[in-house]
Amino acid sequence: MTPLAIVCLAMLGGFLGGVLGALTGLGGGIIVVPLLTLGLHLPILEAVGVSLFCVMSISVGAAPRFVGTGLSNVRVALFLQVAASAGALIGARLSHDVPARALFLIFGLVMLYNAVLSLLPSRKTEAAAESSPLAQRLKLAGRYQEGGEWYSYEVTNPLPALGIMLGAGMLSALLGIGSGVFKVMAMDKLMRLPFKVSTATSNFMIGITAATSAGYYLAHGDVPPLLAAPVILGSLGGAYLGGHWMKVLPVQQLRRVFAVVLMCVAVEMLYKGVAS
Amino acid sequence: MSERLEEQRRLITLWLLRTSIGLAVFLILIGMTLFLARGAVYFPRTPSGRIDEILVHIWQGASAGQASAFMDAGILVILFTPLARLASGVVANARSRDWLYVGIGAMVMALVLIGLFSGAEGG
Repeated sequence: MTPLAIVCLAMLGGFLGGVLGALTGLGGGIIVVPLLTLGLHLPILEAVGVSLFCVMSISVGAAPRFVGTGLSNVRVALFLQVAASAGALIGARLSHDVPARALFLIFGLVMLYNAVLSLLPSRKTEAAAESSPLAQRLKLAGRYQEGGEWYSYEVTNPLPALGIMLGAGMLSALLGIGSGVFKVMAMDKLMRLPFKVSTATSNFMIGITAATSAGYYLAHGDVPPLLAAPVILGSLGGAYLGGHWMKVLPVQQLRRVFAVVLMCVAVEMLYKGVAS
Repeated sequence: MSERLEEQRRLITLWLLRTSIGLAVFLILIGMTLFLARGAVYFPRTPSGRIDEILVHIWQGASAGQASAFMDAGILVILFTPLARLASGVVANARSRDWLYVGIGAMVMALVLIGLFSGAEGG
């Protein structure tokens, strides 16, 4: 394959990751890593290194939409980020010692989990009536703006959520994904944040988590500029357009179709893990 | 936090994000244009080593008009954006005397910096 073809494919992968990330909440690394490993036969560590930049681009590209709306709870993000970044440091340290086949297997399983979760009907979490004592001490409760109105909410269970963030950070660093599904799950189900607040806060966090581990991949020469640069351009464009398209496209149906595609790719990743 | 400080924080964050995105896109586009103008027939060198070594490599490459140096510079802008956003948050919290979150924000920044600067030694 010529360098020009590689650039075009990488940009397309980043664009798809950005669009689908914005539309369905799944995307970024979940698309870019399989594309680079299965499609371009890149070593998985390089695919992970490039993918972390895709994740950062999507986080940075989507962030201006949330600034000033209160949707991104910065206090919750900072508190949980201590564990997520610690996990990312551990994951980054392990990344060059874990065998490639194990990475393929873990990636395949995480993809399957993501796909199954997006096929299941979502249940709305009941809002917490009162913040837990630790959440009160940390002043985690907040408010957000929607349709010109401000809505307040309380926060519970900050400590158990820290444990999940440690694992999410490790997975992010090992697999080059944002781990947004795990972060949103912890904030939505455990901490009882409104779903929109959970997704916006997760978007803020995935960029910092990816930045924590990206230095390792960069230092080890696992971020080829010819791939990372077009992936970044594609992701930024995709995240921007996806944010606009979500108002006009049937997001729920897209999510289901995408989940089926994810399942097929997950099986391919698992196969590669077993066969290699 | 007072409404005035909150508004300042919002404007600074927006400026930071938009400037970073614009700068990264600009640098990467220069790199891609140079790459295409030279026939797009080679694989540029992948940088490695400590961040400060990579910065020197980028500076030397950009001075010599290397396409990959501009791409690498854009990549580094994206890498440093979350850190810059964290730093601006720590400053904003300090201005509103929210010392608890100055401490937590500084802790997160320290973890990100450890990740960025210890990469060449670890792993």
